[in-house]
Amino acid sequence: MRINSNFIKTAILGLGVVISSVSYAQLNIFACEPEYASLAKELAPDAKIYAATTAMQDPHQVQARPSLIAKMRQADLVVCAGADLEIGWLPMLQMKSVNAKVRSTDQGLFFATDQIETLDKLDSVDLSQGDVHAKGNPHVHFDPERLLKIAAALTDKLIQLDTSHSAQYKANLANFTTRWQAAMLNWKQMAAPLQGQKVIAYHSSFRYLFHWVGIEQVGDLEPKPGLPPSSTHLAQLLKSAAKQDIMAIVIASYQNDRGAIWLGERAKLPVVTLPMSVGGNSESQDLFSLYSSTLNLLLNVQKLEAE
Amino acid sequence: MLNKHMTFTGLFCSLFSANLWAEAPTLTNPAVSVVLDGYYQNAERPLSEATEGFGLGHTELSLSANIDDLFYGKLTTVFEVNDGETELNVEEAFIQTLAMPAGFSMRGGRFLSDIGYLNNQHVHTDSFADRPAVYRAFLGSHYYDDGVRLTYLAPTDLYWTMGSEIFQGDSLRAEDEHNEREYDNLGVYTIYTKVGGDIGIESSWQAGLSYLHNKNGQLTADEHDHSHDHSSDEHSHDAAYTGQNMYIADVVYKWAPNGNYKYQNLALSGEWIRLTDFAPAEGAYIYPYSSHYQQGWYVSGVYQFTPQWSVGLRHGQVDTMQLDGNAFEDQKLTETDVSLFWHHSHFSTVRLQYTLQKGTNFDGIENDNVVTLQYVMTLGAHGAHQF
Repeated sequence: MRINSNFIKTAILGLGVVISSVSYAQLNIFACEPEYASLAKELAPDAKIYAATTAMQDPHQVQARPSLIAKMRQADLVVCAGADLEIGWLPMLQMKSVNAKVRSTDQGLFFATDQIETLDKLDSVDLSQGDVHAKGNPHVHFDPERLLKIAAALTDKLIQLDTSHSAQYKANLANFTTRWQAAMLNWKQMAAPLQGQKVIAYHSSFRYLFHWVGIEQVGDLEPKPGLPPSSTHLAQLLKSAAKQDIMAIVIASYQNDRGAIWLGERAKLPVVTLPMSVGGNSESQDLFSLYSSTLNLLLNVQKLEAE
Repeated sequence: MLNKHMTFTGLFCSLFSANLWAEAPTLTNPAVSVVLDGYYQNAERPLSEATEGFGLGHTELSLSANIDDLFYGKLTTVFEVNDGETELNVEEAFIQTLAMPAGFSMRGGRFLSDIGYLNNQHVHTDSFADRPAVYRAFLGSHYYDDGVRLTYLAPTDLYWTMGSEIFQGDSLRAEDEHNEREYDNLGVYTIYTKVGGDIGIESSWQAGLSYLHNKNGQLTADEHDHSHDHSSDEHSHDAAYTGQNMYIADVVYKWAPNGNYKYQNLALSGEWIRLTDFAPAEGAYIYPYSSHYQQGWYVSGVYQFTPQWSVGLRHGQVDTMQLDGNAFEDQKLTETDVSLFWHHSHFSTVRLQYTLQKGTNFDGIENDNVVTLQYVMTLGAHGAHQF
């Protein structure tokens, strides 16, 4: 029997290509929210990154849809806010995507809120309080200092999963940190006039931004977290707005502006829609432009108010 | 019965007091959820479990958690009141693998079959008070059973899953009035596949094909008593119509502006089920029938127009045959449902539904107009919903 040696060579070569392409495969990252897709892109620019939601979508209410199951099936790393923000859909995706690699935070699952202290943790939760998060506010990406800690922890996770590129990940983090710290100095300066301002906002979406800048949220369009603005609640807000010097009504890019506009017209307050994340408006192309766009929008409102 | 009930109450209280609703469930802190479902309706729908007047629907208590890194487990018990008797039924009691390689997973125990679109959805997530007529006729509203399932999920961007199940099949057995038939113990075999994906940012879809082979589904000539009465199993979960082969095609499409489901969204779905080889194989000339198959379908559209209000419209029909004397008699049931529901939060729903039903040769239709007022509320763990 003659064996075609060329065939064997080709087969061995082919097998070699398959094996090497497996071991040097691009890291496949599934991000629950666009801010973490952007952060992953800063830290692992060569990875294949997929964002499950956009800044126009309420991250509390996402369908565990077939496309997300298919994407998570292929993921090496899943990056989410955590603190139960995704409790209504992430567990279903984990169950249906049958990908053991991304089920445990010991392996390819990463929760941003695990890396830092969240604000507004609750000792006890009663659902009559509304759709609240016992583990604290999960919208942590708007605090630049917390985000930097998350970036460092995510880099550790990337190194754990893809050790062969650890030098590259460390260099990426160093580069990001330098640029981020410089930007933070700039933002702090920009945001100085906003310190001490009062706003009415929708949900606690910008809790961390307000905390970092020093803005006080004196009212919430939601009567209780998760419940839409009701007319009686808006009437109460209107009453209390008259007694205070409020800069603006702030809503996020995924939130309906009806209640805000109703209140804004009657209380003579401007309504400003801030991008909830990267892609929330045309200026917000990455985390840096997300922050500067958000601060600019607030500063513009304040200028209008001053005039 | 009382003891069983007490144990569950005690278990529930002790777990719930320590359980924060939105915590990720763990072994010492499993997800506990209770569904409260009650209604009032002015008339009955044929083949339905819900009776006229006030009643309790699918009142259930469910516990679930990852058992360890390899297994997940879930128990769902359903409390039902039939003729003044309270029954405790186990609807789900299964374990599922979490860490099988290459996209495979297995489930064993008692669970909802994954055939079709609606069957593996929990009843409390439905947009209508009752399952469509075709489900009530061929699947006993929702088909759950004791068995095993193997599924595979392909590593592709297009969602593509395949599965196969083997079940005991007791609830899908053909009638046996004389208790003489020797049924197969492994009665039901299923295979199914589902594909799905997104169309842009705003739309998502899923389509499926399923086949169910039922070894005990076909009537046999000699065992059949010529009088046939379905009213005796009015409250059982058994399918009223069975056959050797069942084919299901299903499709679902969902849309939300910007893909943001909070304020507005639309869900369209439709299913078609055909049942064949129902008549005694040797008796086609003894028991004449008009068609080789029985079948039914529904289409449904549900639109959430504000965060707290949704409206649903559903139309469906089922064509069945019932052995009456020496011949199969044609039956037809057509239903049009309109449902308006208010959901104050994720956890509470109050629904008003109107059904116009037209039945031909169907028992149990006293009124063509059915109005149902229903509440469905959940307390405890905020379970993630399926697509």
